[in-house]
Amino acid sequence: MGKICHVYLTKDHTFFLHNLLTNNGVQSIAQFRIDALFSDYHITSQSEDRIAFSLDLSLLLRALRSAAAISSAVDRLQIKLVKKLPPNSTNPMPFLTFETKGYASAVIQDIPISKPLSRAHVLELQTALDDAQDLPRTLVGVSELDSLLNFVERMKQLGDEMGVEIGKNGELGLKVSSSLVNLGAEFKRLMIIGEDSEQINGDGGMNVLVSMKHFVKCLQCHLAKPDCAFYGVGSQGGSLTVVYQFFVPGSRQTDKSISFHCRLPVLDPGS
Amino acid sequence: MDATLPDLVSQLDNVQGFVDALTSVRWKRHQDAVVELSEHGVVLIVEETGCLQAKVYLQKELFVNYEYTAEARPRFGVSLGLLVDCLNTFSVPGHSSTIELRYPGPDMQLLLKSVDSLDACIYAEIRTRIPDTISWDYNFEPLGTTPLSFTVKSAALKEAIDDLEWPGSSIKITLQPTPPSVTFRGEGHGDLQIDFMYYVNTDLLAAFSCDREVSHRYKYKFLRATTSNIPSSVVKDNRGSKVSVGRGGILKIQHLVSMARPAHSHIDSAGYQPPSRIAYIEFFVKPEEVDDD
Repeated sequence: MGKICHVYLTKDHTFFLHNLLTNNGVQSIAQFRIDALFSDYHITSQSEDRIAFSLDLSLLLRALRSAAAISSAVDRLQIKLVKKLPPNSTNPMPFLTFETKGYASAVIQDIPISKPLSRAHVLELQTALDDAQDLPRTLVGVSELDSLLNFVERMKQLGDEMGVEIGKNGELGLKVSSSLVNLGAEFKRLMIIGEDSEQINGDGGMNVLVSMKHFVKCLQCHLAKPDCAFYGVGSQGGSLTVVYQFFVPGSRQTDKSISFHCRLPVLDPGS
Repeated sequence: MDATLPDLVSQLDNVQGFVDALTSVRWKRHQDAVVELSEHGVVLIVEETGCLQAKVYLQKELFVNYEYTAEARPRFGVSLGLLVDCLNTFSVPGHSSTIELRYPGPDMQLLLKSVDSLDACIYAEIRTRIPDTISWDYNFEPLGTTPLSFTVKSAALKEAIDDLEWPGSSIKITLQPTPPSVTFRGEGHGDLQIDFMYYVNTDLLAAFSCDREVSHRYKYKFLRATTSNIPSSVVKDNRGSKVSVGRGGILKIQHLVSMARPAHSHIDSAGYQPPSRIAYIEFFVKPEEVDDD
């Protein structure tokens, strides 16, 4: 999604948040229940035991990869928030420290992070998060994500803007238009969740225009191997929301400890 | 829809083959193509500054069905890049997808539609133009009674032309009967000569016909256009490409692109393809102006 993200820790959840405090670009919200990630977890802070900071995701990924490589047998990784004196500096800086113990070695990795957000900023983040959790009333689900990805990858050659239509009977329409070509796809008989027919009966469907770049970026979330993606238009057509569904491995049950969704800003038609 | 029948409604079950065939004549980003429909099939023509012309022949046998109702052969202009990009979105790797082509639409568009799935439908409407007139008709006439031609493995021809890039902008092609051989010679920053000997290597030259020496120069960039985009499937099949020299030194290069359905290509791995499953690609290259040297 982007290189820098906010990590937001509360008593019950860990969030990875993109673009929540800026108003352009794709917002993405990944939420993990504490027990899905940690076996043992302690948090205290001055803002009601909530801590938020930003970090460079590529560093986090690197640290996690190397930790996973070392501790595969031992299966224990301790993560701490610390302040340390970096070399050649007199100012202590905040770090996220990974302590991994393997059979023969122990590795400590420090990832530089931003200063924790102030109480006011944490509040701002929480408000933005609350807003973003407001899901569309109707969502249609695509489970053949590979074919969708394949199609959109080819479609993106033809235009910069993507029209998305959510139909009342479980249709998802995607369309690019230019002076020379109209090209689109319609997927029918998809799963519907939320209020169906009644709510969008009025105008037959919901139609929004989003940036092709954003749409493709959202499809990259397929790297997280979701089992299904649900598309819906937010209240008053203000955004396109994509909710990813993960099944508990080996079952068809939604894994409720993980939630992941993206919100794409809607373009003004004609701009 | 209005009551008049469209000129053409046809269905095609190998979109990727169609994409491959059209890609092989796409030597630059923005190219206008002229498409001609007839009772025999579809021909797509692209050309460059009166020196290079390419034609893709899609005979009606390549289509699952082909309903042609026009009286005079309709022609329309279309952006080749756009057409290829659109067709590409219909092609699903590992599947044979069937599409319907229809011309003209209500606003003279070329209409494409996927027809093989009930739950997903892809469609495209491509705007067409009134075609430019083709600046010169490449009336390829053989020179003398014996045709001057050779058939070479497509991969070898492509490799030879790729290798000739560095010497310079002009390539001399010579065919001679004794010893039966073809010579490509580039002179510029340096010299590079590539010889295809007929008797020495019949693997390379599958056929050779020449009764007297003939030699012409061609611009490298035009020669390159004839092989630079041939799809990897053609290189892999490594069928022959046929090269002929005609009156006035016009060079004709013919490639064959397989349009077999993906599922069938394994069965036919012995190399046999029914002839109806081949698209023909022809390039015509004019020689450089002769300055007596």
